[in-house]
Amino acid sequence: MSESAVAEITLQTGQPRRLLKPETQTAMLFLLPSFLGFMIFMALPILASLALSFTNWQLLKTPSFVGFQNYIKLFAVDPAFYTVLGNTLFFAVEYLALNIIVSLTLAVWISSLKRCKAIFRVIFFLPTFTPTIAASVVWLLIFTPGGLADNVIRWLGLGLPNFLLSSSWAMQAVVLVTLWANVGYNVVMFNAALDLVPKHYLEAAMIDGAGPWRRFWRIRLPLISPTVFFATVMTAITSLQVFDEIFAMTRGGPGSATATLGFAIYQKGFTNFQMGYASALAWVMFVMIMGLTILQFHMQRKWVHYDD
Amino acid sequence: MKVLKKTLLLAAVGGSLFATTASAEQINLTWQMWTGSEADTKGWQHLADMVNAKYPDIKVTLTTTGWVDYWTRLPVLAASGQLADIVSMQSLRMPNFYSLLEPLNDRIAADKFDVGAFTPSIIGGMSVDKQLYGLPYDVGPWVVYYNRDALEAAGIPLPKPGWTLAEFSDVAKKLTKDGKYGFGITPQNYSVLAAAWGDKYVNDAGELDLTNPSAIAAADRVIGFAAKDKIAPLVPSSADVGTFIQGRFNSGNVAMYVDGPWSIIGMKDKAKFKIGLTTLPREDDKDLAAVTAGSGFGIATTSKNKDAAWKAIQVLTSPEALQYLAEQGRALPARSASQSSWYKVAAKDITNGGEALDYSLAHSVPYVITNNWAAVENLFNQYFPPAFGGSADAKQTMESIQSLAQQ
Repeated sequence: MSESAVAEITLQTGQPRRLLKPETQTAMLFLLPSFLGFMIFMALPILASLALSFTNWQLLKTPSFVGFQNYIKLFAVDPAFYTVLGNTLFFAVEYLALNIIVSLTLAVWISSLKRCKAIFRVIFFLPTFTPTIAASVVWLLIFTPGGLADNVIRWLGLGLPNFLLSSSWAMQAVVLVTLWANVGYNVVMFNAALDLVPKHYLEAAMIDGAGPWRRFWRIRLPLISPTVFFATVMTAITSLQVFDEIFAMTRGGPGSATATLGFAIYQKGFTNFQMGYASALAWVMFVMIMGLTILQFHMQRKWVHYDD
Repeated sequence: MKVLKKTLLLAAVGGSLFATTASAEQINLTWQMWTGSEADTKGWQHLADMVNAKYPDIKVTLTTTGWVDYWTRLPVLAASGQLADIVSMQSLRMPNFYSLLEPLNDRIAADKFDVGAFTPSIIGGMSVDKQLYGLPYDVGPWVVYYNRDALEAAGIPLPKPGWTLAEFSDVAKKLTKDGKYGFGITPQNYSVLAAAWGDKYVNDAGELDLTNPSAIAAADRVIGFAAKDKIAPLVPSSADVGTFIQGRFNSGNVAMYVDGPWSIIGMKDKAKFKIGLTTLPREDDKDLAAVTAGSGFGIATTSKNKDAAWKAIQVLTSPEALQYLAEQGRALPARSASQSSWYKVAAKDITNGGEALDYSLAHSVPYVITNNWAAVENLFNQYFPPAFGGSADAKQTMESIQSLAQQ
């Protein structure tokens, strides 16, 4: 009996008892590679990191089980942890707020233009093509003591210290660079959403005497709120994971002014070879991101309008 | 004719039998090494072939990675049991990775291998607790590079090896003018300079000891170059401050900076002025203690052919191999006898290059570091820049680093 014959028989006998529709089977077949990829390269390492967070693994030796010691050290012993946590939250809140405000403003401005919309969309989207590390190195040269930024600050008479040498200003440099590098995504997304707002709603509001500000708050913003919600969740998640800019521009300094969770995980794991401890830090970050996402989904009921 | 044919046939059969026997005894060794360029890789391949030429039954297969990737891959390869038989190791990273390598003292004693032919400081650098874990191929004492044109323009006599801290400060002050600086300092220079001045930042038990008066005094001097004397530019706590300062030196913005001889090759085409070399400044009333770094080859504890690997690393660090590397300008040889050939090639256009390196090597000591040195250097990188800017003093800086390094 040939193989194809076996296949035919199986198909024929299997048909009446088939659990899934043929199109579902096909879909699953096509999804299988990415599912396997997800399991091998995402799910397994995530689970492995959870297991490792209960060990003392110095990478070169066999891991030894230490129970909750890493978590206890994290919350009760390590003086740097709360600084790192504070820095992470500070960055996330400031960056998220600025990103949404700036990208929304730019998107509204672009959508109000009569021509050259595409050009401006490309201009703001361009930095997102640049590898973050490369962009950060260029910004590092701009912010370096005696560099371009210092000259501009002096010329404007702002009286600010050098950003990278000041504990209170270094994070602002990171926020600025991250904003420059990533704001383009949300600009393009918001711009697309704004273009989809039905013109007759706006025209009707205009006839009723609503000004541009009122039209924005009462019509455009509620209608694009699902997009704003999606962008807020995604930006919040990425802001908690910030790493590249800090790695290239400040290495957590000056002092520990820009050490965030993402950077601390790298530093503990790959410089200090404390993989167990780094895994515990990663799980703290995971819980924070999960918590924030749940909170945002909870809050969306109040302000997101789906056009059902 | 028939006799000739038979003889040839027998010879062929004999030859193939011999070949079979030889290939059965063939030992294949793997060697993992970093590389910077294709020419670099060819040089290492030449060394691998030297092993095969000396021991036809040992074949060394070279695998290379870039410098940065090498150190990321090494622990991962070790954790997954895939280390090569011969592992290349830098002295500064030895305290982190020596557990992956076979101790060599017994083999050295059994073979009466002459360790004395190498510069003692790099033998110290490749050792942990007096046990040697690798044979070195190069050695480099940290020295001061200077812009000879800038010194001559300012009418300053060229510094002589063995100059004092007071002489150094005087020169640096004279060179600091018109927006240019006399000296370029990085946070990582701290330990190199502290050691040169005889200040101790690691105690006798090998633990980090940054808060003792001697370590703080050294930090005060280093920070003072930027914060008080203003002879050095401020630096950010970024990824690679060394490259930053090197760039400012090459562009003529700082007149002196600290580096090792390994930078000469890459620097000659970039600087548009004459480069000179001198020793690190010594404490006014003490001798110079120039710390060195270098690299070599060890045998992986997981290797199945340790005896063959021992033979191979002896060839890789033999006088012939180091002579070859020196002539390529690749490395200042770890063997004292081969060092003059390197001066002739790599340091030939550098003013007083040989003199400065000779003096430094004659006063060289192993670089004392802790087994978490990479973490300590990171903290130097984070905490020195604000101190350079004047917002923290030496004592506060060292206390912060000391307390965080122990977490």
